[in-house]
This record gives sequence, C-alpha cells and structure tokens, in this order.
Amino acid sequence: MEAGVAFLLVVGLPLLGTPLIYLVGRLVERRKPGLNPARWVALLVLLAAFYPLAIALQVILDQGGPVSFSLGVIRLQLDGVGALLATLVLVLSVLVTLFSGPYLNREEHQEKFYALLSAMVGGMIGLGCATDLFNLWVWFELMAIASYPLVAFHRQTPAALEAGVKYLVQSAVGSALVLIGIALVFGQTGTLTLSAIRANAPLTPVMLAAGALFLIGFGVKAALVPLHTWLPDAHSQAPSGISAMLSGVVIEAGLIALLRALGALFAVSQLWGVFLLVFAALNMLLGNLMALRQTQVKRLLAFSSLSHMGYIVLGIGCAFAFGAPNAAAGGFFHVITHGLMKGLAFLAAGALLYAVYIANGKHQPLMVDDLDGAATRYPLAAFTLSVALLGLGGIPPLAGFMSKWQIFVGGFETRQTWAIVLVIFAALNSVLSLGYYAPLINRMYRHQPSSRIESGQPVSAWMNAALLILTLGVVVLGFWPSLVSWLTQPAAQSLLALLGG
Amino acid sequence: MAMTWLTLTIGLPWLGALVIWLAGDRDEKFTHLLAVAFSVAAGVAALLLLPYGKERLVYSLPMGGVFGDFTFVVDGLGVFLAAIATVVGSLAVIFSVDYMHGEGQLPRYYAFVLFFIGGMAGLVLTSNLLLMFFFWEITALCSYALISFHNDDPKAVAGGIKALIITQLGGIGLLAGALLLYAYTGSNDFHVLLENPAILPAGVLAWMGFGCLIAAAAKSAQFPFQTWLPDAMEAPTPISALIHAATMVNAGVYLLARFYPAFAGVPGWREAVMIVGMLSALLAAVMAMVATDLKRVLAYSTISQLGFMVYAVGAGGVFASQFHLLSHSVFKALLFLAAGAVIHSVGTRDMRRMGGLGKDMPVTRAVFVIGGLALAGIPIFNGFWSKELILEAGLHENPLWLYALMVFVAGLTAFYTVRMISMVFYGEAHPERHVHDAGNAMKVALLPLAIGSLTTWLLAGPFGHLLAESLPAHHLEVHSTLAVVEEVITAPATYLALGVVALGWLAGWQRRRLSRVGQALSGVGKAAAESFGFEAINRGVVNATQKLAEALRVTQPGLLNWNVFAIVCAFLILLASLAVGGR
Amino acid sequence: MNLSVPNIVILIVIGLLGVGTYALLTVRNLIKVVVALQIMVKAAMLALVLAGRLQGQENLGQSLALTVIVADTIVAVVGLALAVQVRRVVGTLDLSALTTLRR
Repeated sequence: MEAGVAFLLVVGLPLLGTPLIYLVGRLVERRKPGLNPARWVALLVLLAAFYPLAIALQVILDQGGPVSFSLGVIRLQLDGVGALLATLVLVLSVLVTLFSGPYLNREEHQEKFYALLSAMVGGMIGLGCATDLFNLWVWFELMAIASYPLVAFHRQTPAALEAGVKYLVQSAVGSALVLIGIALVFGQTGTLTLSAIRANAPLTPVMLAAGALFLIGFGVKAALVPLHTWLPDAHSQAPSGISAMLSGVVIEAGLIALLRALGALFAVSQLWGVFLLVFAALNMLLGNLMALRQTQVKRLLAFSSLSHMGYIVLGIGCAFAFGAPNAAAGGFFHVITHGLMKGLAFLAAGALLYAVYIANGKHQPLMVDDLDGAATRYPLAAFTLSVALLGLGGIPPLAGFMSKWQIFVGGFETRQTWAIVLVIFAALNSVLSLGYYAPLINRMYRHQPSSRIESGQPVSAWMNAALLILTLGVVVLGFWPSLVSWLTQPAAQSLLALLGG
Repeated sequence: MAMTWLTLTIGLPWLGALVIWLAGDRDEKFTHLLAVAFSVAAGVAALLLLPYGKERLVYSLPMGGVFGDFTFVVDGLGVFLAAIATVVGSLAVIFSVDYMHGEGQLPRYYAFVLFFIGGMAGLVLTSNLLLMFFFWEITALCSYALISFHNDDPKAVAGGIKALIITQLGGIGLLAGALLLYAYTGSNDFHVLLENPAILPAGVLAWMGFGCLIAAAAKSAQFPFQTWLPDAMEAPTPISALIHAATMVNAGVYLLARFYPAFAGVPGWREAVMIVGMLSALLAAVMAMVATDLKRVLAYSTISQLGFMVYAVGAGGVFASQFHLLSHSVFKALLFLAAGAVIHSVGTRDMRRMGGLGKDMPVTRAVFVIGGLALAGIPIFNGFWSKELILEAGLHENPLWLYALMVFVAGLTAFYTVRMISMVFYGEAHPERHVHDAGNAMKVALLPLAIGSLTTWLLAGPFGHLLAESLPAHHLEVHSTLAVVEEVITAPATYLALGVVALGWLAGWQRRRLSRVGQALSGVGKAAAESFGFEAINRGVVNATQKLAEALRVTQPGLLNWNVFAIVCAFLILLASLAVGGR
Repeated sequence: MNLSVPNIVILIVIGLLGVGTYALLTVRNLIKVVVALQIMVKAAMLALVLAGRLQGQENLGQSLALTVIVADTIVAVVGLALAVQVRRVVGTLDLSALTTLRR
C-alpha cells in the first residue's frame, strides 16, 4: 500500500465507518432486538485502521519526515504530533469499545453511541493532520459535535443533560472565538496555510488578538483553568467509556489544535510560552485542590485531569518559552501515559459504577464511600483502579512517574529560575495529589464491604480485559519508559520545527 | 556470576510478589510458604553477592534519552545494605508466619513485603540517580501500603498516608538533585560526580547537597520530618521491624554517606547534617523517655539512633555511621520483633498494662534484654562499638558542643531503655492475664538476630575493608577488628561516654526516686508528649490546605452564565497583558 | 475612522459579538442561549467574508462562511435537541434549574 493511501485510510476508515456502524446496528436492531452488532462493527473498523496506521508510521520512521496527502486544495499531513495522537486515539478507542459493550447493554440506541464514537475518533485523527487553519477548525468541530451527544448519552438523566448543555455552550463559544481568530489571521495574511502564516506573519496588534483568541478558544476544549468549568460536569456525567476518551484524548486533542494554531503565530509574540506556563500553574493548583474535597469518584478523576493537563502544558510551555526539546518530549510522553492512566481510571471506576448501580438499573454517581471494600468482591477492578491512581500520583514503577520525570528534566534543562521553580511547584502538586488518590485506595482494600458493593452485580470479562490491557501498558511503560520514544521524540521534533527551532 | 546474584537479589523478591499476588487468597499455608521461600532465596542470593563487593562491577542497561543507562553497581556499600535488606527481610517474613496467622488478605501483605525487599536492594545497588529515586519511591509506596495494611482502622490509614506524603515531600529534594545532575552533566550517573564534584558549579552543587539532606531527613524521619515514624507504628510489627527500623529508614543515611565525597566541600553542609542529626537524636530521646506505647518508644529510639548515624556522616565518620547502621539494623529489628511477640501475646501496646511478663515469656525477655543492652551501648554488644566510633568521629575537628550533646543523648538512651525493659518484663504481673511465649517461627527469626547483636561487631575489620576498597572517592581509613577494638578501649572518650551511659542506666533503674526531678521537668515531658509542637504544625498545614480546597469550591457554582463569564474574563486578561507586554 | 464599507462591517462584527456575549452572560433561557451562540457565530462568519474581501479572495472567504454555516447549523440542532430533552426531563428551560452539578 502506498503511504499516502494508507494515511488517507487512517483518517477515512473511522469516518466511513460511522454510517456503516449506524446502519448495520439500526437494521439488525429492528429485525432482531438485543443482538447489538454495532459494537462489533465499530471494533472491526477501529482495528482495521491500525493496519494503514502501521504502514504510515513505518514510512514516517524510515523517512524521518511527515507523510502527506492532498485532496484537491485540502492537504493533510501526518507528522510526529499527528502520529502520536492517531496512535493513542485508536488504542484507547478500541479498548473503550471493548469496555462499552457490556457497560451499555441495558441502554437503547447503542448504534448511535458507536457511530458517534467512530466519528469522534476520525475527527481527532484528522485534527492532528490538518495543515491549514480552517481545516483545523473543521476537524475540531467534527470532534466536538460528535462528543456533545455522547456526553448526554444517558438522556433520561437530568444531570447528564445539564452536563451536555454546559459542554455544548462553552465549546461553541470557544469555537466561535477561534473562528474570529481565523478571520483576523486571514484578513492580515491572506492565507490559511499554517506554514505560510508562520513564514510571513505580520507583527501587528491584530495578530496578537488572534493569538489570544486561539488560546482561549482552543483552551476551552483543552480545559485550561479558568476555562475548564465544563469539564468536571461532562467527564463525570458521560458514560464511563466516553469519560475515558474525553479525559484521555479529547482534551489533549484540543491542546494539539491550540499548539498548531499558536505555533503559526509563534514569532508574533514572546508571551505565548509565558501564558502557557501560567495556565500550567493554574491547572495544577486548582485541579488538585478541587479534587481534594470531592465525594464523587468520577468528578474527582475529572478534576485530576485538570492537574494533569497542567503537567502536560508545563512541558509544552517550556518548549514554547525556552525551546526545550526534552520538555516537549516529556509533555507528549505525558499525553500518552495520562491517556492510558486516566483511561484506565475512568474505565475501572466505570466497571465499579456499572456493577453497583447501572447493572441494578440505577443511574447515580459512584460515591467515594461506595468504594469501601471493593477489593473483596471486585479484586481486578479495585487493583486496576489502584494502579491507575498510583500512576497518576507519580508513584513508580508506573508510567506516570517516568513521564513526569521527563517533563521535569526538560524544565530543569532550561536552567531558567522560573522554569525550575515551576517544576518544583509541579512536584509539590504531585505530592498533594496523593492526598486524594491514596484514601481511595485505602477504602477499596477495607475488609468490610459497603452495602452497595455487597449488592453489586458481576463485572463482565470484556470489561476486565480492557482494564488488564491498560494496566499492562501502565506498568510496562513504568519499567521501560523508552518503549514509546519512537513516538514522543518525533512529536517533540515536529513541535519544535513548528516553532522554527 | 555476580550478575546472576544481582539479578536474583532484586528479581526474586519481585517475582515472589507477583507469584503470591497471582496465587491469591486460596490457602494460607501455601502463601506463607511461598513468601518464606522467595525471601530466603533472595537473602541467599544477596549473601552470595557480598564477596563481589570489593570488585566494584558495573552492569548497565541502555535506556536512552533523559532516562540514561539503568546502571547497577556492585560495591561494598550496596551489597552490604542489600544483604541487610534481604536477610532481615527474610527473618521478618519468617516471623510473620506466626504473627500474621489467620489474618485476611495475606497475599497483599506478602506481595508488598517482597516488593519492598526487592526495591530496597535496587535502591542501594544502582548508580543511576533516576533509578535510585525510582526505587526510593517504591520503598515509600510499600511502606505506605503496609502501614495502612489494616485499612478498616482509620488510624492505620492516616498513619500510612502521613508517611507517604511526608517522605514524598522530602523526596522532592532528591528529585531536584537528580534533575540538577542531569541538567548540568547530561547524565544520571552519580559516580562521575562523586569522583569529581567540580563538574557542577558550586551553587548548583550546594542546592543539590541540601536537597539531598532534605530528602534524607524525610526518609530517615529526622528533624524536622520526624513526625511520620511514630504514627507508622500502626503497621503490623514485622513491618515496623523491617521497614521502619532495619532498612527503609536507613536509606536517608545511605544517601548522605553515598554522596559524602561530593557534598563534604559545600560550605555549611557538614554542619547542617550534624545539627540535623543531633536535634533528631536529642528530641527523639526525650520523647522516648515519656512515651508509654511500646512501639512508639522503639520508634523514637529509631529516630534517635538514626540521628547518631546522620551526625556521624556530618562529622566525617562515614565508616562509623555505616557500622552503626549495621548494628542498629540487627538490634532494632530484634527489639521490634520481640516487642511484636509481646504485643501478639498480650494484645496491647500500652506498657502500663504490661509488667511482669518476664516470667511467662523467658525467651522473649532474654532476647529483648540483649537488644536493649545493645541499644543502650553497653560493652561487648554491637551497639557499644559502633556508637563509640561515632562519638570518636565527633571529636575530630568538629564542634565540641555537638559532641557533648551527643554524649548526653547516649545517657538518655540508657535511661529510656531501662525504663522500657522494666515496665514490660519486670514489676508486678497482671494476674488475670494468660500470656504465652513466642511461637516457633518467631523464635527462628529472633535467635539469629540475638546472636547478631552479640557478634556483628567482630566484622568491623572485613566490613571496613569492603567499603574502603570499593569506594575510592570516600577515602576511608579503616583498620582490622583488633585495631578497632584497641582504638575504642584505649580512647579516654570511651570511658567518659560509658560513665554517662552508666548514669543514665542508674537513673532509669531508680527513676521512682527521681520523681521530684521529674516533676520539675514536667513541662519538658508535656512538650515531648506533644512532639515539641511538630504535630501541631503538621495538623495546621493539613487543615489549611483542606480549608483552602473547600473555599475554592465556590469557583464552580454550576451556573452556565458564570462559566461563560470566566471565559470572557480570561480573554480580557490575555488581551490586557498582550497590550501591556506587547510582543 | 471613516465610514468606509470595511469599517462599517467591522463595527457590525464587534456589535454582534458584544450582543452575543452579553446575552450569554445574562439570559437564563436555554433557547435564548442557543440564539446567542448563533449571533456570535454570525459575527465570525461576517468577519471571514470581510477578510476574504480585504485580501481580494472573496471566493475563499465566502466558501469558508458556507462551511461554517453547515457546522454551525449542526451545533444549533444538537443544542436545540438537548433543550427539548431538558424541557422534557427537567421540566424547564431555565438555566438556574441546571445547577445541580456544582462545587
């Protein structure tokens, strides 16, 4: 297969799969209710996308440069950043599909869920490959639009609807701001191609305003504090598989869109890096402090996503402000490890939520108290959730430790006082985060199970399989961090190339 | 061959942890058997590794990038501490067979014990600072998991989390040191630094030195981080013996000793180390004099003895500190395990409710007294020789007032040791109680340690040579055992210290007659019972954080208009700062 | 600032944005919120068309605006569908009733 075609298939398969999944699911559901073939079609489509992805990745690694493909005037290009995003998105979405089958078995209209999931995956992969501003926005919108109904998927639950409304409105405000930013850039430079903008961006106040619009507009999706207010609601109310996707890749995709747009305006101001570092500090602090007093498990995990976004932005911000290659690589490494760990955390919490509430026909949030003694009945879910939480807290031998290390090294390598202070601040935050991760683990290993746990239903083997695979990833990367260097290094190079370094 | 033993020393316990975890909760006996088998095998592997210590072999696993090479170095300091970790570890596991009999969730217990043993061995055998930090945190994780093993008990959970957070907080010092090393040398290997500290700019070296001091103080429960160790006593007693007396808490001392050549030249570093050690030794000894919980007394005494070791490193007595570490590991593990036998039998940790146990538990009393004599520094026992060496090191061109205080602390040590022994084993027995002596597995674990408390000092010579030959950067001056004995016996300072110890011993024995002095000092006693205000500081920080977190929750009022308002405000602030800051 | 066509359009864009933002900050009715979003996006569309005009690339500017219309309509449809469902399940369109997820 030719590299360009393979690349097109990576983007195209999930998008072509969307109607297919819906139609097959719908038609079969009419004839034989309860069979739910949509998830198998979705799994097939997503798995199939790995084959062209492998070919495209092979070419990128061999050539050391990006693969591109043109459709008329639209040009797509798979560089290091896009490759990393595509790989992570596909891995996580396959596992989420595996997991969601049993999780949703009592729900109606499952085919919509998988079709939208597939569309969202396609949107994210495309977002990573866009080469012009407007295209970037279109992919971004595709991802966002697919995710709105997914957040409000439990459409009989008032809380889910509330979360969906907030998510939609805030995202839409963000994307309107981005559009205005695009108009400003277009009006100033007459081009939309990122590389052309980068080459001759005029140093005017209008361009500064455009940069601010991009930062805020994409920042809403990337959940930068104080634009984050939708996130705890959406992540806690979405079906657990979608929580995993939102937290594990969607907000990171928002960040990557932000990097692409802001990277094109890199020369316009030296403040971009500073802004990113300020956002990083805010995210780490607020995310951790807000999580400290939460009583709902998924809401707590959602706030912890804020702080992890902070670590990622710290790495990326150091790359923006000081051109630190290791910080960029660390940031991208943390994108991967956070995707795995937070995906695992949400799926494991989801497995428990399913067992104690959903399978008993209730749609209620999983409370922290409900976890008491979970290990007595659900040893695997409790263990994997513990692994995820410890990994998020940066405890070795788990992946989060290594990725934080790489970010921190990048910060110290700049030898700038403020970067070093920020890294120490991040380390302090990491310790603070144990203040809410650790008690959860202690609860799960009590001898006396809570009444909810005692009346819980069994967890399906498919769910456990997804949890085990993610756990394996988190542990292996903790022992062997350079296992994904082939993804993070090119991503960092691509980012720095974007910044003209 | 050394490579094989090295791999087995770290790998066997970890493999055992995995196997026990996978085997699950089926058969209690099988679980015990697996744990004993794996831990003893690891102990044997570590002992077989000992002879290679002098050769200073290096094994390296290329990892690339900021992770450096994952390098393991078999040198004297490493193999010696690995041997302590695995041997005391296997004894603690054997002891647990009796102690943990009938407990639920045993696989979790043993898996973490074995995971800890492997992690501790890795910590002392690596020369990659990232990897050292990696193992450092693994030991903290295991310590946390085992302290709060009884998760239904809120005190155990609180103790575990406190230990985790305080050691992690201090760990940031080590992290910063490791980051600085990489940022300025492009490598994680610290041997380069030990051989030539000048590769780092003086300022950076100072930051790194004090960072490591903070990390060491937190890990070894030294001033001002000492508060976590007493609360860690909620752990099952074999864990207290293994992690919180014999191995993990030594990691801080190990760190200081390991980096001594690099930081000794940093202005003020040695003085700071000595003062930290002295303050810990003094404050903890006073606290031990008033505590009534048997395990807490032992915990305070651990802090105090670690203070001696830290002081020794600061005073330049690296060998003396490591020698005392060896003695302390043996006699303190013995004391803890014997105390465990007592607690297991009596069912309380309160010494006021013990008394007169000696008659019913003769074996336990015998070994406990041996451990106590070693702790107090009575001649012939191993604690005597190593403590005298430390005090002697304190006399070498070091501040005399620090030395005087340390001798005073040696007297206090004797006082609280006697108090503890007499409260537990002598005096009036409680007639209604039915106690039994230690079980067989317990005895198997106690006897080697008791013998060790009497004999490990004979190893002074070989141990010294092992260190000196494999640590060229430390420039250690060592002698044969006979020469060490002669040195201690002929030094006048020894007799001064012995006199103070004897006074303390006497005072402890006759403490009822001193009640008037006690009343005069009751203010000190009260302050000591409150941990000299450090507990209050801890509580204050925790409460302030929680309050701040609760207050911040108003930022999430849930109203959509407010959320949009935040977005608009952020945009305006960005615009304003761009207008001011320009490009 | 003379009242040339571009300047007038710029003023309109800014005015629309102001109206949309003000509405988002103050209105409590979900339908009105969706309308406010629409107003903001219309401002952006106008800005795109104007940018194309200023750069002499009117075709491109207008085709961008058309694309935006498509995407924007889908968002509006999804938003309105959510509003319908909210009315059914919660029983009101008032935003102050949608504050159960807080703190």
